[in-house]
Amino acid sequence: MNGHVKNMHFQQLVETAATLLCFLLLVVVDSTKTVAAARNQECSNDLHRTMKLTRLVHKDTGDLIKQYKTSQGEMPELLCKASVSGIPDPNISGLEPSEKIASMYAQLQAFSPHLTRVYEQQTDLQPPKSPLLNLLNMVINQTGMLTRRINNFYHKVFPNLPLPELAGGSTTLPPPQNVFQQKVYGCVVLTTYKKLLTNMSKNMRTLRSKVCRKAPASEFNLF
Amino acid sequence: MQSKCSVCFPDRFNVVVEGLLLTHLVTSPHVPVVEIGTNFTATCVIVNTVEVTADSLYWNLSESSVVPEKNYIKINESALAVTILISGEESEWLFCSCKKNSPYVSLNKSKFIHGIYLKKAYPPRRVENLSCVAEQVGKLVSGVLNCKWDAVGGQTEDVKTNYTVMVSGTYRSKTTFLNKTMVDLGFFPHFMHFDVWVVADNLLGTVESEHLKQDANEFVKTDPPSKVTAFPEELFPNCLLIKWEHPIEDVRIKLTYQIRYCESGSHTWSYVSIPLGDTDKVITSFRLQNLQPNSAYVIQMRCRNREGNSGPWSNWSANETKTTPEDRKLLFHPVCVYDFDFQDPKHANGRITSFGLILYNKNGPLEQEIIPADQSQNSSESRVTLLKNISLADKQFVRVCVNANNSKGTSPEACLILVRSSGIYLCVANSVCVSLSEQTTVEKLKVWTQEGQMFVEWKRPNNTAVSEYVVEWARHGKTDWQRENKTTTRTAIKGSLEKFVRYNVSVYVIQSGRVWKLVHKEAYLEQGAPEQGPTINKSYPAYDNAHLVWDEIPLDKRRGFITNYNISYRKENEAPKSIRVAANNTSYTLTELLGNTKYEVWISASTVAGSKTPGTIEGIVVGVSLGFLFFVLMALLLCFLKKDVLKENFWPQIPNPGESTIGNWSPDYPPKEETPKENCVSGVSVLDVGVCEVKLGFEEDKTSLSLKKGKYLSEEHSSGIGGSSCMSSPRQSVSDSDEGPDLADSTASTVQYSSVVASSGYKGQTPSSHSQHSIFSRSESTQPLLDSEEHPDVSLQEGCRQVQPPPRPLLGVEQHDFCPLREDTELTTEPDSLSADTESGAVSSYMPQLGGYRPQ
Repeated sequence: MNGHVKNMHFQQLVETAATLLCFLLLVVVDSTKTVAAARNQECSNDLHRTMKLTRLVHKDTGDLIKQYKTSQGEMPELLCKASVSGIPDPNISGLEPSEKIASMYAQLQAFSPHLTRVYEQQTDLQPPKSPLLNLLNMVINQTGMLTRRINNFYHKVFPNLPLPELAGGSTTLPPPQNVFQQKVYGCVVLTTYKKLLTNMSKNMRTLRSKVCRKAPASEFNLF
Repeated sequence: MQSKCSVCFPDRFNVVVEGLLLTHLVTSPHVPVVEIGTNFTATCVIVNTVEVTADSLYWNLSESSVVPEKNYIKINESALAVTILISGEESEWLFCSCKKNSPYVSLNKSKFIHGIYLKKAYPPRRVENLSCVAEQVGKLVSGVLNCKWDAVGGQTEDVKTNYTVMVSGTYRSKTTFLNKTMVDLGFFPHFMHFDVWVVADNLLGTVESEHLKQDANEFVKTDPPSKVTAFPEELFPNCLLIKWEHPIEDVRIKLTYQIRYCESGSHTWSYVSIPLGDTDKVITSFRLQNLQPNSAYVIQMRCRNREGNSGPWSNWSANETKTTPEDRKLLFHPVCVYDFDFQDPKHANGRITSFGLILYNKNGPLEQEIIPADQSQNSSESRVTLLKNISLADKQFVRVCVNANNSKGTSPEACLILVRSSGIYLCVANSVCVSLSEQTTVEKLKVWTQEGQMFVEWKRPNNTAVSEYVVEWARHGKTDWQRENKTTTRTAIKGSLEKFVRYNVSVYVIQSGRVWKLVHKEAYLEQGAPEQGPTINKSYPAYDNAHLVWDEIPLDKRRGFITNYNISYRKENEAPKSIRVAANNTSYTLTELLGNTKYEVWISASTVAGSKTPGTIEGIVVGVSLGFLFFVLMALLLCFLKKDVLKENFWPQIPNPGESTIGNWSPDYPPKEETPKENCVSGVSVLDVGVCEVKLGFEEDKTSLSLKKGKYLSEEHSSGIGGSSCMSSPRQSVSDSDEGPDLADSTASTVQYSSVVASSGYKGQTPSSHSQHSIFSRSESTQPLLDSEEHPDVSLQEGCRQVQPPPRPLLGVEQHDFCPLREDTELTTEPDSLSADTESGAVSSYMPQLGGYRPQ
């Protein structure tokens, strides 16, 4: 009889412990979900801001192209229709999200020296206080910010994947050009860069649902 | 002597001593700064002399105040320490001197004094209330971040605290002693994360403020909204439509807006935050509601960053002043105190141009008169207007009605009824009369008003001995009462009652110390039009209707018993429609609306004194029924998931021999000939000498009636001349694959023909006859091939077949029709019977030839 009572007590204890364990598991799972939701939200916010910055750079690049055309004298449209070799590809490559983000980063990096070269060339061609120079400077500055933002976003979302280096090493800049060639080169660089930003915006829209599920919640500074 | 000192004091003093041979006192330590409020300990050492001892030394501050000896600590005979509290902000000297008056000391006073310069400072403390702003410049945001903060702690003249603003560790301001500075960021980094803090440092240390971590746009202070304009709308006298333009492009920063307005001349602003709405679209118009008609309003707007709803507000825009339209529903109510006056309410809703006065008796109108209003008076002020002195003569009953006119039209009438009673005219307002008539059904308690007084009448309880009565009247938060003796059954409420306020009047019976509540009734001293319309709480737009739910008007705004609601709605630029709804409803479904159309809906409430228009104006967009969409989606999903079942039931997979088999049998057919639409390929003659092995079943792979091309191709090698009907396996073919190439080089005199005569039941179909067999026949013939089989582009194997002589009509040859789409031509064979047939060897059972040969 005593043994039976003891068994009963033990059984009750086990039941209580099991209930408590279940409750604790529920609490842990719930808290995990909450943390995961917060991570997703943070990831979405980061990507959202990156998209907005991309849109802003795209818009400013559009304004820059207009200003560029008005600043180059006659036949501005013809300048942009010529083909120039050595300009980076505006397309985003890769199928996986990580590849696409890496491609965006690489393309931005590839365009950066070209934009700087255009700025240098236009510095010689335009008066010092030309609005074109200011706009060019702004777009170059924004490109740097966008590059940093994408770099940080990549490392945040794919902490274990190193960001691939620029394919083919550093970007090859064109050899010395005459004034006409410089005008053509500048316009083609800007229009191609705008295409890149368009492609980036398109790709980013599809990234959110694919990327922002397993992002860690590490706070990071985008500067 | 020097060696003695070297032994007595640390080495660091030796250096000093050696460098200052002319002095006999040396003080230490010489710190760059001392912290105010702390204790400072200094030591004075006697060197190069035995003329004085530590007892001869004393300390004083700035040669003025001697430090009390209680602060001294004698270390030994030649060293004296002192501890002082650093106070005051001004720097000063702490001197060590000698008080002995020996000849040597007197002659060398300068050698017996040494001091420490105390440069005083407060320790740096973390600044508070750091805020930074980047202002809009032109169409862009300035790249200069202006920051300010509240400095904490003091500074001294000699030691100031330096402040430096840091931005994300990348940018930093110039160092300043002030509490504001700027950081040049170059171009403003929209959508970047900012981390801003202030470093405060001085000689005593360094300390950082709290970090501001937020999006860069949250620091932006834009210009106020531009081109803020108000538009009065004739239809909505209580509204002003506000329109504005964004001060900056949306792509840089999205803004949220706030409006403040007040009546012209007033300085009490009302604030309205413009809701963001459900969409991402930034709005540029807003309708201010609940304004007074015919009133001038001053409007201003400001804006700030929308995301996070934080950041500095812009300045207020310039004043925009507009006047609301006049309301046709003029507000006024009659009073009869001494004369027949009509009192304008606080807001008359417009400038009254004239009054219409109509006198009635029991038989009808007596006379009518238009009385011009006094234009000199301000219509926005409440006033009593004496319209006319009327001689009542001997009239027993007179009803006086007045309406008012303004530029919008004529108001409803307000009436007074004058009844002669005992030589006195009793004056009651029309509205109250109506109210009384409604109250007559009350069983035990009557409440009515007369001459601005509220009267109560009740029935005396039958079987009780009443001590007294208590009449109580209560309004929200305020109750009053009066006692009446036991014989009273009718009394006037003696307290001060207000118009347009709902009172709950109760009568209590006091009986033998117990209190019984007899009955209570709600009543107004006088009713008026509701002060405001009801607010639409929710709207549920559907495909062609919209369900509206509104809140009841707060009790203190009703000013009377609501008799009905009036729902008005309109499409844009169209006349509004109205629907009357009973007062006990707070919801209604608008029907017969157009889909995907925006309607403006407003609701007004009416009392016996009139109505007030409108309540809030709700914009509803009637959309597509979600239920319908859901149903369609589900149906589509079901169709997609069950497509195989549906296909089986509705479009069974019926093999089309004419489409594939005959072509495959005779690869020489040009492609266009492989799918004859006439289905019936007649004219194919076969000899009854072919061997046919039939292998049929309900399974597709056995019946091969699907005649899939892929399957055919897999069997092509082994099927020989006749190709293979899908029914025949390579083994079952009479002419197997080995024969094909062999025949290719010869113009063989015989050609094998295969023919599908019938099949088992198609999948999903009921076999028409169990006894019918599917027959695959193959025959050899020397008949020339059909023209259509002679295709120039053939493979080698097919080329081999090309040289085979075409079939020719022979006696005893039966012709088969391939009519796959006609069920009556399809023969169904049970698997068992099929296997039996197969086992029994080749069966040659050709269908009778119905047609001739195909043209050759």
